[in-house]
Amino acid sequence: MTIQRRRVAGLLLLPASLVVVAFLALPLVLLLRYSLNRFVPGQFMVEALTLENYAKFWTDPFYFAVLRTTLMMSGGVTLLCLALAFPVALFLARTTTRHKSLLLMAVVLPLFVGNAVRAAGWMVAFGHKGIVNWLLEAVLGGAPIDIMYTPTAVVIGILSVNMPYAVLTLQSVLEGIDRAAEEAAISLGATPFAAWRLVTLPLATPGVLAAGVLCFILAMNAYATPILLGGPRFQMMAPLVANQILQQANWPFGAAVSFVLIAVTLVLTAAANLSLGRRAA
Amino acid sequence: MSINLSRRNFTLGLGAGVALGALGGMAPARAAASGQVVVGTWGGDYLNLLQKYVADPLMTPKSVEVVFDTASDTVRKTKLMAERQLPRGSMDIACLSASGSFEMFKNGALLELDPAKIPNLKYVQEKLRTKWSVPHIYSGRVILYNPSKVKTAPTSYADLWNPAYAGKVGVIDIQYQTTIESAALINGGGMSNYEPGKEKLLELKKMGVKVYPTNEAMADALKTEEVWMCIMWKARGIMWQNAGIPIEIANPKEGVALYISDMSIAKNARNKEAAYAWMNAILDPSPQREFAKAMGYNPTVENADVPAELQGRIAFSKDIQDKYLVADQEYLAKTDASLQDWWTKVFKA
Repeated sequence: MTIQRRRVAGLLLLPASLVVVAFLALPLVLLLRYSLNRFVPGQFMVEALTLENYAKFWTDPFYFAVLRTTLMMSGGVTLLCLALAFPVALFLARTTTRHKSLLLMAVVLPLFVGNAVRAAGWMVAFGHKGIVNWLLEAVLGGAPIDIMYTPTAVVIGILSVNMPYAVLTLQSVLEGIDRAAEEAAISLGATPFAAWRLVTLPLATPGVLAAGVLCFILAMNAYATPILLGGPRFQMMAPLVANQILQQANWPFGAAVSFVLIAVTLVLTAAANLSLGRRAA
Repeated sequence: MSINLSRRNFTLGLGAGVALGALGGMAPARAAASGQVVVGTWGGDYLNLLQKYVADPLMTPKSVEVVFDTASDTVRKTKLMAERQLPRGSMDIACLSASGSFEMFKNGALLELDPAKIPNLKYVQEKLRTKWSVPHIYSGRVILYNPSKVKTAPTSYADLWNPAYAGKVGVIDIQYQTTIESAALINGGGMSNYEPGKEKLLELKKMGVKVYPTNEAMADALKTEEVWMCIMWKARGIMWQNAGIPIEIANPKEGVALYISDMSIAKNARNKEAAYAWMNAILDPSPQREFAKAMGYNPTVENADVPAELQGRIAFSKDIQDKYLVADQEYLAKTDASLQDWWTKVFKA
């Protein structure tokens, strides 16, 4: 590439970079500044330069428990999502049916509906007299159960949001893996499971990593699903941020919680990339 | 920016109008309202009714264009606080709860009203008035119960603690303040001391109380008979009865606490004359009557002329009216943050 071409490429990058700086970086800087302010009840935000909001987060067991719940939910949902999405993605990558595009469409279709609307659908299904309890009572003859406003409802809700992303990410990587490698292992006496474990899975690691990271980040920042399906007693980080800012008007603490969420997500994502990425290399 | 320009034009026009009036020997007692008024309000039905019964029929003929700025009241309060040092704010009117307007007035964000500019104020019930707000609608806190499950009508908040209804009582997350207050009233507390309510609520928690995020979620739970009893505003109870939810309304003997939804003028309102015209319009008998019909709230004026059948359903008896419980705003402003903290960290945990 000549120097001039490089310069043109740099210039072409400029507008997009400016947009990113203006609409992402600057608000973040502002939010960071707010997180150092002080909240006085009834007076909104008082100008200060203090770390007390961060100290409050790390020293109060309640907020730490919210972070722990968020991490456990995100980690659990990510593993479950990968376990469920992998076979679907493998099937989609390997199938030779002429309806493949229809099948892919079926995976993408849920993304046409917003998260909140999807959660509202689950609310109808999980309600006291919803479809699930109706099935339990009328069809299976059991007693109704409480699903709404439980962590189970949130797991199902987030899983349904994240699955299409995981399937599509995995499927695109699996498509690129030469099937001959797996066939060679089988021809040398490996069982199909051993061939999958020793050949396909290691080759698909970049895809698993990408799908996992995507899933984890989406779950860490889930807002509508925990609010609508988890109910008032189930606390996760994104709803906590919204509550501090919109309900309690405590912008400094809300901003500090945002930064804790961003930092924890970034650190864990980078750590996963480093450890798994190195192993895959 | 076009708003500023039109405002400037409006001010010029207003000045010219006043001058003309004076020249004609008809100097008005106050400047006629015109131009644009920005009303910060809740969305949904409340907004639609304001548009249909206040903005369109009462403000448009005066050449006042009403612009609604919809958000939750916390967002509105934040905006008022953030803008209070500016000479011109983005909102003329702020719809708030009584505690919200008190807090904003204390912080110097609201105008002290000139009653002479709101002629309809003379019809407003005395106990609902403050010098910084005009009460728009009000209701009282009651107990809603499902008569097919709760055979004896409740008479006290204490009936929610009846072991026979354990697990069948619901409370609403966003109503933490009034829920703690109700519990305090039956445990030695009062309108200026909510502390005893906390201990009482923990008993209810042990009994398996259900916590719902919103009023709508509570309505659904009552409809499906997931819960049989809750604390609620009477107006909501009437709306839910109209929607076919199987509930009856009972007045607690501890007294009926008032919920007042009011409106105030921002201290830095850009168009104060139009804002005063708006304040007068919301007290007009016609919108007051229509809000009662549509939402089941009580009119704040005495000349609303609500149909007798509806009046029978929404009004409280004279005995109850004499013993209305009014919130201690001074106390709430100081303790609200800690009440919310306790609710989230202890009661809901």
